[in-house]
Amino acid sequence: MSEDAALRFDAVSIHFPGPHGPVPIVHDVSFAVARGKCLVIVGESGSGKSMCCQAVLGIVPAPGHVSGGGIHWQGNNLLHATPSDWRRVRGGEIAMVFQDPSAALNPLMTVGQQIIDVVRAHRTCSRAEARDRALAVLRQVRFPDPERRMRSYPWELSGGLRQRVAIAMALSCGPQLIVADEATSNLDVSIQAQIIELLRELQETLGLSIIFVTHDLGLALEIGDDVLVMYAGHAVERGPVRDVLENPCHPYTIGLLRCAPTLRSRRTEPLRPIPGLAPRPGEIGPGAPFRSRCPVIVEPLCATEKPGWSDCGAGHAVACHRYARDGRVAL
Amino acid sequence: MVKRFRAPGGRDTFTAVNAVSLAVTVGEIVGVVGESGCGKTTVSRILIGIEQPSAGEVRFEGAPVTTPEDWRRLRRSVQYVFQDPSTSLCPTMRIGEALAEPLVVHRIGTRAEQAARVREVLRLVGLDADAMGRLPAQLSGGQRQRVSLARALIIAPRIVICDEIVSGLDVSVQAQVLTLITDLQQRLGLGLIFISHDLRVVHYLCDRVAVMYLGRIVEEGSVADVFGDPRHPYTRALLSAVPGHVAAAPVPIRGEPASLLNLPPGCPFADRCPEVMPVCREAEPPPQIRNGHMARCIAASL
Repeated sequence: MSEDAALRFDAVSIHFPGPHGPVPIVHDVSFAVARGKCLVIVGESGSGKSMCCQAVLGIVPAPGHVSGGGIHWQGNNLLHATPSDWRRVRGGEIAMVFQDPSAALNPLMTVGQQIIDVVRAHRTCSRAEARDRALAVLRQVRFPDPERRMRSYPWELSGGLRQRVAIAMALSCGPQLIVADEATSNLDVSIQAQIIELLRELQETLGLSIIFVTHDLGLALEIGDDVLVMYAGHAVERGPVRDVLENPCHPYTIGLLRCAPTLRSRRTEPLRPIPGLAPRPGEIGPGAPFRSRCPVIVEPLCATEKPGWSDCGAGHAVACHRYARDGRVAL
Repeated sequence: MVKRFRAPGGRDTFTAVNAVSLAVTVGEIVGVVGESGCGKTTVSRILIGIEQPSAGEVRFEGAPVTTPEDWRRLRRSVQYVFQDPSTSLCPTMRIGEALAEPLVVHRIGTRAEQAARVREVLRLVGLDADAMGRLPAQLSGGQRQRVSLARALIIAPRIVICDEIVSGLDVSVQAQVLTLITDLQQRLGLGLIFISHDLRVVHYLCDRVAVMYLGRIVEEGSVADVFGDPRHPYTRALLSAVPGHVAAAPVPIRGEPASLLNLPPGCPFADRCPEVMPVCREAEPPPQIRNGHMARCIAASL
């Protein structure tokens, strides 16, 4: 969490109205994305990871809203951004790649035209200049035969190529930060590997910062520099990705790693699933978010107080009462 | 078996499944892996008669399945669990009713016996009896997949075909369903065909595995052989693309699969293969079998 952060997400909460008052979907989440680095947010459905991405771009769906904290980008708090600030930031400085490129692209327009439109929305330039820019970014994402195939419609392309177009579109205005929300989850493994390689290459050559959201811990290890583990709208563990996934300190992270099969697991040594289900937002109340499924709760603290951050060394931190008390979590 | 489909908008056909043979026996878990469009789902649909093969046959207990009577008998012993329980379960039918339906269709037991059996399978898949009165929308994704499993198990089949049944689930729920399947398979001595694109899940669960590419089985053998000593370059490439897995010798995979509508002669993987030789583009390689481990690659025989 150094000063070199490109984006700082500072104690952000997001609420949605509920029948008994506002329901927190994201609770007091902080993270920072270092310049030129990739932060991976891992979590399961409903953990609030996508909502955080949407907050970064100011597109939290109504009636939800960011109810507290700050999102700091290049010295400005994006929560106070005016519509004209947003027009500059969104797409121009921060761009997003969505999970499903067939929903993100317009089926009635050629992919080339869609990229040209994005360029012209952000830059004063001629059609020809915008077209050159579109070609350049398509080449950058190694879109095959770009002169000819930029005249294709999205539905004429495979899923992998559509995602390349979406990434090209995100790159077209030279953003400093890309937010990729499950951007490879719908792709086949061989194509996913190609897209991951591409993102890593772009990160290196363009000095891009990336927020990469995934539920796949293996993928987190492959693409990430830092990781933030989210559970039920709360950040529970954060730090350098290898350190966190090899020496997890939060009982949820430990449980998640134990129940994800790898190429070493066999059914003769059964996976150890985390019992039960994640709580619904609004059921959590005060106390540790993981307490209903946690085998090592600290009575009565876990039921009454949110755990603060404990330092685990080397930038690795965990929000867990058990860790704070014992200096370790033994499951 | 072979399955040809009519190409969209034309009179041409393309071959979605090409000379595929697959066997499963009671007590065994066979994995079928491959990427989208490789034909794995078509194979499984042929196995229970949702699709008719263009050539080849389905044999059950040693005899070919041909007459409607044969198919009825097969469907009492072979059940199918679909990928997405939110589309395979009727949204307006209560869980109890949905579970009893296979018993009604196959005319098994009295009403009271059917109700008792519904309770029994719910317990078997780890759900409370009060789930009977619920609608699918009132259950979580993991619970819905348990209901699909219960519905497949209610007529006590011997073989269950599972088509990508854990792909839509969160990791922690996926682990719950995987341990449930392992447990059920052992307790009931089921034979399973487990279709998945996730090599980690197949490695965890299966005894044997068939790797499919563009309608063909390109490698088949025990999980230990295929994952430990992959002999087809496609299998090696798939393994090195598994996220988080550090391959001894990473095989980057180029490009995308060829179109089934317009497949060049020779090996269908030739265009993407890092080890391609001129001979690969001449004729499709015959299966090379060594100690029960098959690979459809010229280089595998060298």
